[in-house]
Amino acid sequence: MRSRGAGTRTQLTKLEELLRELRVEEVMTRRLVSVSGDFTMAQVKELLRKHRISGVPVLEGEALVGVVSIEDVTRALEQGEMGAKVRDRMSREVITVFADEPAVEAVKRFAHTKVGRLPVLDRGGKVVGILTPGDPVGRAFRVMDLRYREQEQQRWQQKGLGLEDLLGEGASLVLRFRVQGEDFAGAGKASVQAKRVLGRLGLDPGAVRRATIAAYEAEMNLIIHTRGGELTLEATPHSVVVEAVDKGPGIVDVEQALQPGFSTAPEWVCEMGFGAGMGLNNIQSCADEFEIESEVGRGTRVRAVVHLSQSGRKDRLNR
Amino acid sequence: MKLIEIAQRLGLKVEAGVDHLENEVRGGYAGDLLSCVMARAKTGDLWVTVQRHPNIVAVAVLVGLAGIVVTEGGNIEPATLERAEQEGIPILVSSASAFRVVGELWDLGIRGE
Amino acid sequence: MRLQDIKVQLEAEQVAGSPRPELEIKEACAADLMSDVLASARPGSLLLTGLTHPQAVRVAALASLAAVVFVQGKEPLRDTLVAAEESGLPLFVTQLSLFESCGRLYQAGLRG
Ligand SMILES: Nc1ncnc2c1ncn2[C@@H]1O[C@H](COP(=O)(O)OP(=O)(O)OP(=O)(O)O)[C@@H](O)[C@H]1O
Ligand SMILES: [Mg+2]
Repeated sequence: MRSRGAGTRTQLTKLEELLRELRVEEVMTRRLVSVSGDFTMAQVKELLRKHRISGVPVLEGEALVGVVSIEDVTRALEQGEMGAKVRDRMSREVITVFADEPAVEAVKRFAHTKVGRLPVLDRGGKVVGILTPGDPVGRAFRVMDLRYREQEQQRWQQKGLGLEDLLGEGASLVLRFRVQGEDFAGAGKASVQAKRVLGRLGLDPGAVRRATIAAYEAEMNLIIHTRGGELTLEATPHSVVVEAVDKGPGIVDVEQALQPGFSTAPEWVCEMGFGAGMGLNNIQSCADEFEIESEVGRGTRVRAVVHLSQSGRKDRLNR
Repeated sequence: MKLIEIAQRLGLKVEAGVDHLENEVRGGYAGDLLSCVMARAKTGDLWVTVQRHPNIVAVAVLVGLAGIVVTEGGNIEPATLERAEQEGIPILVSSASAFRVVGELWDLGIRGE
Repeated sequence: MRLQDIKVQLEAEQVAGSPRPELEIKEACAADLMSDVLASARPGSLLLTGLTHPQAVRVAALASLAAVVFVQGKEPLRDTLVAAEESGLPLFVTQLSLFESCGRLYQAGLRG
């Protein structure tokens, strides 16, 4: 119990530090919903509902003149005055915070005033965003988490453990992913995850980059051109082998498919940033060994091998 | 500024539309998503892209572009060049990246939005 | 050039990822086609793109790029923000077009 208490305390100190380090503009919401004084309370109610927020700043031109909140709307509703203008119903005493102040200032202001939102101003007095009470701490926790992961990755890399130390000579680590055809939303996740895992193993970052770029192009080809298949990355102390296998439709003319710029990708794929006809070329230029076999109606197998440098030699494609 | 002057200053290779290098360039647009070009580029813009697909010519005609600069060198599909000749759309090629080409155009005073 | 200076040049807003204002960046890559990014962007570069799909962030992470800027005021999709938060990659949005963004950064000394 005691050690857990201590852990929580360190976390709190870190959180405080971070809230001092982060500036308000780094934790605020920027997509600003605002109203003018001419809005009716009924319009405000609609707006709050649509954006699922509990209050908005009131602007005249660029100047902040007040805030109108769900409480004001409720009161107007009770009094049957939903047609009243915001100008006559808003609170004019607005507590604000500057974008370049430390986030901790916003936290203090929330604690002392109990307001539900703080408009954020730049030094010219223009409203640039808004904060709700959960924003600073929520964002700080996310940043803490990211930093923790980065540090962990560095620790792994510094240890410089080879796969050999981890697995022993002759063993290998296989990452296997099932890839769904046309699953555009999940596309690329397998390769990104593989990059994280291989990075943690302390492999040469340049080689990991090449292997996972090759994996990504192969993964996208499975998604775009096939009904799905399997992507594997096998890491040994000497290499990373990337293999993508599918069961069709196969490639009619492999030579042609390998030409830079050749693509049969449908139009909708092009609008998503694919179909440049450069994927297979990218795989080739990333790999030290490359093979492709395909048979129409049977399927395609793409295999790319990236050698790991033993001596810490600078990765040749670290272009 | 006329397209011919830009081609000379940037050392661009003219691959199609030699007869239309007098086109006046009024602004610049960069990007590779055809639908975005259609939506955002303006008449008289010079378009910088890595796309080499024949469709780029159609887009240029529809928008009324002054010309196309294809970046990162390489070969342009013959079908694209053929269409460009037919439609009178200049296609110029640079071996530099899109970022660099736009930077150099900006240096010449060509602006986007 | 520091990431902070890039943000100022582009009048951009950071919408996700780690805050790294001091990060030094020397090169940029402007592209909407993901294979093009993977083929040509060097590690540590800045990606300027009009593609706001999560793929843009995944590709940038795979290519070990430093940060991503969405141009033309394009709102990132929700999944894109999640992908950026997961990888920590700083993600910005600018109202400027890709052309204007490249021009300003080139003028300011970035290369690519
Ligand atoms: N697994 C596969 N099954 C069937 N056809 C494929 C497969 N992989 C590639 N192809 C064919 O080869 C062509 C070239 O592939 P490549 O990956 O080089 O380009 P692309 O996928 O069309 O575009 P990009 O990869 O640049 O987004 C594809 O358009 C497609 O016709
Ligand atoms: Mg492909």
